[in-house]
Amino acid sequence: MKHLKPMNAKAELYEKAAEEGRQEEVQLMQTMAGCTATLDPGWEVDAFGGVSALCQPMEADLYGCSDPCWWPAQVADTLNTYPDWNNAAPAAHKDWRKLQSVYPEDS
Amino acid sequence: MGRFVNAFRGALLGAAFTVAALSGSADAKDYLLTGIKPDKLVLVDAESRKVERVYEVPNSSPGAITITPSPDGKIAYALVNRWESIAGIDLDSGKQVFRADMSSGEERVKGLVAMDISPDGKQIAVFQSPVKLLPGEFQVQPTRIAFYDTSAGVGAKPTRVIPAPRQTVLMMYSTDGSKLYLLGRAVHVVDPKTGDILETHKTQGWDRPNFYNPDVLDVWSQWEQAATLSTPYYTVRKDKALDDPEAYVTGILTVDLKSGDFTIKDVENTAVFYFSTVVNPVRKNEVYGVYNTLAKFDLNTADTMKSVKSIGLDHSYYAINVSSDGKELYIGGTLGDIAVYSTETLERTGTIKMPGDANMGIAALRVIKR
Repeated sequence: MKHLKPMNAKAELYEKAAEEGRQEEVQLMQTMAGCTATLDPGWEVDAFGGVSALCQPMEADLYGCSDPCWWPAQVADTLNTYPDWNNAAPAAHKDWRKLQSVYPEDS
Repeated sequence: MGRFVNAFRGALLGAAFTVAALSGSADAKDYLLTGIKPDKLVLVDAESRKVERVYEVPNSSPGAITITPSPDGKIAYALVNRWESIAGIDLDSGKQVFRADMSSGEERVKGLVAMDISPDGKQIAVFQSPVKLLPGEFQVQPTRIAFYDTSAGVGAKPTRVIPAPRQTVLMMYSTDGSKLYLLGRAVHVVDPKTGDILETHKTQGWDRPNFYNPDVLDVWSQWEQAATLSTPYYTVRKDKALDDPEAYVTGILTVDLKSGDFTIKDVENTAVFYFSTVVNPVRKNEVYGVYNTLAKFDLNTADTMKSVKSIGLDHSYYAINVSSDGKELYIGGTLGDIAVYSTETLERTGTIKMPGDANMGIAALRVIKR
C-alpha cells in the first residue's frame, strides 16, 4: 500500500483495516457457476462454439435464467429488485412483447 | 391471472372430490406436481394427461422453484417469493397451511434451491444464504440449513439451524431420515442433528488421474421415485488432445438414499448436454437425461460410452421424472407443456398443456402418489 494514498475517509478506513489485519474474507459466490455473469458467452454461443446446445427456442430459457438472476445484465432482476417484471407475461414464447426495460426508481 | 383460475374453477370442483376420494387409498396413482408462472402450482393426473387442479400461492411471484411434497402427498411445500418464503399448500383444500417467511429485519435470507422434508413429514430442511443489508454494505453471512416444524402452520419460525457448506444446491434426506446428503462442490453426508459432516464424496477436486475437475450444475429435485439422486457431470481428459472429441466426457453421478452408495460413471463423449437426469425405480440401472435431447443410459453397460438410445426434442426441457411403474417419462420445466415418453422406446406418448401455456421455467417436476 506504500504507493497508494487514501483520498477519502472510507479509503482511510480500508487502509487502517489492512494494517490491523482486519480485512474481511472473500466469500465464494453461492451460485456454482455463472452464464453471462462470469463472462462465458452465454446467450451468444454454446460450449462447442455453436448454438445447438443453447436452449431451443431462446424463450424456453428466458424465465429459467432470468428468475435465478442467471442473466443479470440482460434482463430485469426478478430475484431482488423487480420481482413482478414478467408477471403479466407468463408464457414467454407468446407474451415476450409485454416484457419491458426497467429503470431505477427514485427512492 | 384470474382468467386461469376462472377457466379451471369448474374442473377443479370435480377434481377436488376425486382427489380427496383417492387420497391415501390402496388405489393411489401417480400425479405430477409442478409450478407455473407467476404464482401457481399445478397438479396433473399423469394417467389421463389432465390438469386436475391449479393452486394460487399467496405472495409468491415470480414463481416456485423447489417443490417438496409431503410424504403422504397431501401438502406441497414450495420455495417462492423470490426464494425468501416456503409456502405449504394443502392439495385438497387449496389453502396455504404453512408459511415461513425467512427474511427479517436487516437480514435478507434466500433459500438457495436445496430443500427436503424428513421421511416422517415432520420437518422441512432448507438451505439458506443470509445477507445483512447494512446502510453502507451488504454483509454476507455463513450459509446454513434451517429446520422448520411442518406443524407450525402460517408464520413458522426455524426450530434450529446447523452450518452447511456454501454452494450447496440440492439436499436430500436418507430414506431413514438419519442423514442429509448435500450436493454442491462435493457430496457431503451431514448429520441433521448436529450438522457434523460425516463423509465427503469428492466431485470438484476429485482424484481421478487424467481427468480435469468436472462441472456439476443441478437444481432439480427429482429423486423420489427411485430414492436415488442422479446428476450429470462433464469433464475433460488430460491424456487426449483438446481438439479430440474423445477428450470430452459426460458422466452420471448417483447417490442411493437408502444405502448411501455413491457412484460416478462416464457414459458418453460430450456432444450434447443434459440439464438433469432421473433413475428408473424398477430398473435402477437405467438413467434418463434431458435438455435438447432425451437419452437413455444403462449404467451396467456404461463402458461402451454410448447411450442406449437418444432422440432430439421439440424444444428444451430442464426437468425429468418417471412413473412409479418405470414405464413413462415426464419431461417439463422451461415452456408450458409436459411431454410424456415411453422408457422402453423413447417414443412420445402424450402431451400435457399447462393452463394458458404458462411457463414452468425453473420449477421442479415432482411425482406424488395420491
